[in-house]
Amino acid sequence: MNITMKSLLAPLAVAVVLSTGAAQAGTLENLERERAILVQTLLSPTLTPQERADKIAVSKSRLVDLERMALRDESLTGLNRPVVRKAFDNYDLTFLVHASVEKKVGLMDLWLDQVGISTHSLMNARVGRR
Amino acid sequence: MQRISSANRVFPGALLAGATFGIGFLLVLFLAASAFAATPSWQPTASERLVKLPSSYLKKAVDRDFADSELANALTDVNGRIKLKGQTLTDLQAAIAKADGDVRTELRHQFLAEKQEFIKMMGEQQEFRRKQVQTKVKLYEQLLARLERREAGMTPEKAELIKRQEAAHQRFENSVSQVDMALFGSPEVSESKYAREYAKNMSAIEAMVQAIKEHPMTAQAEVDGKAVTKQDYVRQLIADNQAEVAILDQEGTILGYMAKLVALDAMALSEEVASQQGDDDSGVTDEKGDVSLSSSVDFFISK
Repeated sequence: MNITMKSLLAPLAVAVVLSTGAAQAGTLENLERERAILVQTLLSPTLTPQERADKIAVSKSRLVDLERMALRDESLTGLNRPVVRKAFDNYDLTFLVHASVEKKVGLMDLWLDQVGISTHSLMNARVGRR
Repeated sequence: MQRISSANRVFPGALLAGATFGIGFLLVLFLAASAFAATPSWQPTASERLVKLPSSYLKKAVDRDFADSELANALTDVNGRIKLKGQTLTDLQAAIAKADGDVRTELRHQFLAEKQEFIKMMGEQQEFRRKQVQTKVKLYEQLLARLERREAGMTPEKAELIKRQEAAHQRFENSVSQVDMALFGSPEVSESKYAREYAKNMSAIEAMVQAIKEHPMTAQAEVDGKAVTKQDYVRQLIADNQAEVAILDQEGTILGYMAKLVALDAMALSEEVASQQGDDDSGVTDEKGDVSLSSSVDFFISK
């Protein structure tokens, strides 16, 4: 006989399921997409400085929310997938807006620093065969 | 034609012995299974729902499930009959003290029969209690295995990921007010709808989380006044029930001694009754109660 006690346990079972959280589809994916758009904006050679600044401002406010949604998403806790592992390997690169404000550096500067592009590395770059 | 050899002579005999043993063994197994199957049942399973129940509620849930089972009904029934039988024994004991002669003998005989019946009922009760406790032990062991399997899912990689996630969360919490000030501090930039709604819900969430933490039903299970994990609590339940099995074994010994005493009392009563019958003076028996010629001389010498 299974332990049912439907009338007493049904609400509890529902609560347990809800508290563990059904997976919110793609908080990290949404964040990654928006960040990619931001980086594209930062690197775009066709935009004027004003256009770039306006686009960055819009992206920034969206990214703040998306970063917070990803950080608060309990369904990601312990979810041992490559995307999740990569995201939390580097806080500064993943949560760009929060990290840039925390470190009091520009978005572009932080991103370039995280991907390893510095003045020194650029100056030492050479065209050649691998 | 097969040559006669010692191997040929021995083989049919061994085959017969083996077949007899096998049939006998199967018969015993079948009878044991039938006997076990005949006792009322209780078959709980360690479902996922049971795994997720708070520790403090776990034991109550199992006891409540047992209370609805066939086995619980049978146990209640036999306990009721035992109580009535106990009353009968008390009444008989009182009656024996007041009676004498044949009535007393008859009452003692009845008392022995009732005691035998009482022992049989106690044996039945012990069988039910044993089944209850053994089922509980098996259930808790299944539950513990499930809990341990969950823990086994925690690989070093997963543990490392959780550690990083906790660190990220902590870093975020430490910087959130700074970010809010920097990004939303100026009047031109307003908070997003998500931020507003989140803040509004957060206080309600915090209040409810606190209420859940303080709720008596979510209190962590305790052993000897110390809070323990769910696995340790289940291990304690297993140990408690195994101790009960040991107590039942001891009660079985007591019941055995009771049965022996009843048998000895029955033998004593039987001898007493027989000797009383032997004392009946028919005039032809000696001191031992045997028919004796010399004992019947008086019939012939007296006029």
